[in-house]
Amino acid sequence: MTGRGIVDGGLQVLAGSAVVLLVLLVCVRAVRRERERRRERAAEPLRVLLLELLCAEGDEEPGSLQALSALDDRSWAAVEPTARTILAKVSGQARDALAGLFEQRGVATRAMADLRRRGSVRKGRAAEVLGLLRHRAATPQLRVLLLDADPEVRTVAARALGHIGDPAGVPDLLNCLHGPHPVPPGVVLQALTAFGTAGHDQVATGLDDAEPLVRAVAVEALGAAGGVVWTTRVAAALKADPHVEVRIRAARALGALGTPAGLEPLLDAVRRGRPEPLRAVAARALGRLGASRAAPRLGELLDDPVHRVASTAARALLQVGPAGRDELRRAADGARGGRAAAHARAALAEAAIGEEGARSTAGRAAVGP
Amino acid sequence: MTPPLATAALGAAASGPAASTASGAHDVLLDVIAVSNVLVLGYFLAINTAYLMLVVIAAGDFVRHLRRTPFAGYDDASASPFTLPVSLIVPAYNEEAGIVDAVQALLLLRHPSFEVVVIDDGSTDATLDRLHEAFDLVEVPHVVSTEVPVRGAVESVHLPRGGPVSLIVARKRNGGKADALNVGVNLARYPLLCMVDADSILDSQALLAISKPFSDDPLRVVAAGGVIGIANGCTVVAGRVVRVGMPHRLLAKIQTVEYMRAFLLGRTGWSRIGGLLVIAGAFGMFRRDAVVAVGGLDPDCLGEDAELVVRLHHHLRGTGRDYRIVFVGEPISWSEAPETLRVLGRQRRRWHRGLTEVLLKHREMIGNPRYGRVGLVALPFYVLFELCAPVVELAGLVLVPLGLLIGAVDLEFLWRFLLAAYGYAMVVSLLSLLAEEYAFHRYSRWRDVSSAVLGAAAENLGYRQFTAWWRVRGIWDAVHGAPKVWGVMTHRGFAAEPTEEDRR
Repeated sequence: MTGRGIVDGGLQVLAGSAVVLLVLLVCVRAVRRERERRRERAAEPLRVLLLELLCAEGDEEPGSLQALSALDDRSWAAVEPTARTILAKVSGQARDALAGLFEQRGVATRAMADLRRRGSVRKGRAAEVLGLLRHRAATPQLRVLLLDADPEVRTVAARALGHIGDPAGVPDLLNCLHGPHPVPPGVVLQALTAFGTAGHDQVATGLDDAEPLVRAVAVEALGAAGGVVWTTRVAAALKADPHVEVRIRAARALGALGTPAGLEPLLDAVRRGRPEPLRAVAARALGRLGASRAAPRLGELLDDPVHRVASTAARALLQVGPAGRDELRRAADGARGGRAAAHARAALAEAAIGEEGARSTAGRAAVGP
Repeated sequence: MTPPLATAALGAAASGPAASTASGAHDVLLDVIAVSNVLVLGYFLAINTAYLMLVVIAAGDFVRHLRRTPFAGYDDASASPFTLPVSLIVPAYNEEAGIVDAVQALLLLRHPSFEVVVIDDGSTDATLDRLHEAFDLVEVPHVVSTEVPVRGAVESVHLPRGGPVSLIVARKRNGGKADALNVGVNLARYPLLCMVDADSILDSQALLAISKPFSDDPLRVVAAGGVIGIANGCTVVAGRVVRVGMPHRLLAKIQTVEYMRAFLLGRTGWSRIGGLLVIAGAFGMFRRDAVVAVGGLDPDCLGEDAELVVRLHHHLRGTGRDYRIVFVGEPISWSEAPETLRVLGRQRRRWHRGLTEVLLKHREMIGNPRYGRVGLVALPFYVLFELCAPVVELAGLVLVPLGLLIGAVDLEFLWRFLLAAYGYAMVVSLLSLLAEEYAFHRYSRWRDVSSAVLGAAAENLGYRQFTAWWRVRGIWDAVHGAPKVWGVMTHRGFAAEPTEEDRR
């Protein structure tokens, strides 16, 4: 074939492709717009029913519930996306009413069936819905999904377990942090803190796990969920865990727990020679504890050569009451050297403008209508 | 990519009447032109096929993304206390007109924990004054970290009176955008840094979306790029794009299609195959520790955003770390595109100079198996199809008239060839439009579609040739170390008045 022949053939292919693409572009757009228009037309009157359902008070069962339950499939398909969006954002009676509607429509039953079927997208959507509905019966299957090959399915299963709040899922949530591609630790952490005190004992089993990530998440979850009875174990993790990330999270947890038992381990963690990220987190945790005994040590840190440690210590001193302020003022006057003075002055100034603003806001409120 | 206005036919030229009567020298010239033709033909086929492959890969990614959006978990992330906090760094130089609206819009982004760090890079206008008035700023004593070296010293730091607004404004001596960003890195308190241009408009969910890869894969993701869309023609209310529309001017229409193909689909494709090299400075997120580890942004490089990404690859591959640099296709940051040839020319010249500098600086990575797909695929692609493309294109512009002059070009073949070349480029653009329409369908009006098709067609007629010239000048600037000039981007502003439809 000559060069001209090749080009002619290519031209024909390209012209055909261009026409096909243009037609597809127009068709995709037209079909989508028509579908949206139909859905919008069908959904508009039904939104009133949805609002009635959400606004119903007391134990009365509104007629809207029956009406929405009895909708044909096409109408329900039109209103379901709105209902689902609202379900994720409301709480209390409105949430219960919507969840009841979804149950009556058989959404939970279908989603339960979808969890067992093939296809990651189907399973992911089903897990999302079951989590939103807090469908407790889904817990065993969601626990299985934590081992799914698809990372996004594992993630949504972890979130759903947190929404449902059945502590039976805690061991599996900790377990899904193993391996080269664990479920995102932030998602597991959020789920673990949703179980409240009922899950503390099981979460604490993670403190003895061989995997550092499990220990790190368990220790932080106990801190964030207020597991004060585990303070000693958390403090032990801060002191002795071989992995620095676990120690960092233990320091953060002790700050969140706010018990006096956390003071000594935290004071020890800010010493020079400890890893820098740990020292910074521990300094912040000392501020959260608010113990005046921490002030002298935090004052020493103002002169620390590591900027992050010094600036965190300065902010932490603002949180430890009069002793902390005194320490900052002394440092600002030069008692601990030039670098400490600069950090102290910056922290005091920051606090002053915050308080000035708060005072002026209070003043405005006092003279307001 | 169209061919460099490719010259004559393969065999056709040699069989033309001019060839049979030519002298020896003339024959040699014909041979040279014939060989050039083959090279040019191969080049244009390869470049368009490469783009086609990237677009197809990206389209597949869009479909996957679209099907999974219902369980992406944005609601949970927006309410979680464990979502990683973000420092938004906004370098500003003479932005008095829009800085207040920009910062106000940034402060309203959907994310549970973030701060806005504005760096006034020695503006000569009232940028700082505007911020002072709007946010009741107070100058405070400051101690700025020196983790990343900076050139222009920080002169003052300002905080809003009252505290609860998470805003910090620093005034520094002028040192350029990269230097301002480095000051921002030093001031940032949070583990994630999001670099945003002061004249960019972010979708409300942008921060959540771009930080999601860091939450999903916290041990490996070190950087994420966001999509840049063209704001010309869009309706902007209270610092948000409320209605997306195609620009009115042809030059901006062309750029919209170009951005869609090269930035949205091209970068999504590169991200999918692990070879993303460019994260736009207008909207990109980085792990702070990773940026500090490589010493921040390079103030000597005009393409500081791409250079940072390549340096991260260089450093992380070099140290054998398992890492990912990804691209997020939605939502997006909107920027105003140049609407005059003069401003567009300055922009493209600067961009290509930046690219040249980056590739020269990291030349030992090119083709080096130590750097994996980045070294073996992405960088060679950038050298061959980004850096060299304008040179080949301009070479074609010279060879065509020459070939016609000496009778080496068969005119019959030439017009067919040009048509095929433009047709191929247009097919790639149309496929990009189709992928956008299927996945995101941001452009709501029918006339937007016709505008986009018009833009895709018009791109081949003059626009490419002009940009090739500016890009070659960019290469020249880089090679000869011409003084670095950012130039002034003339902002026309956005359509601020919502229509009745927008209000509904």
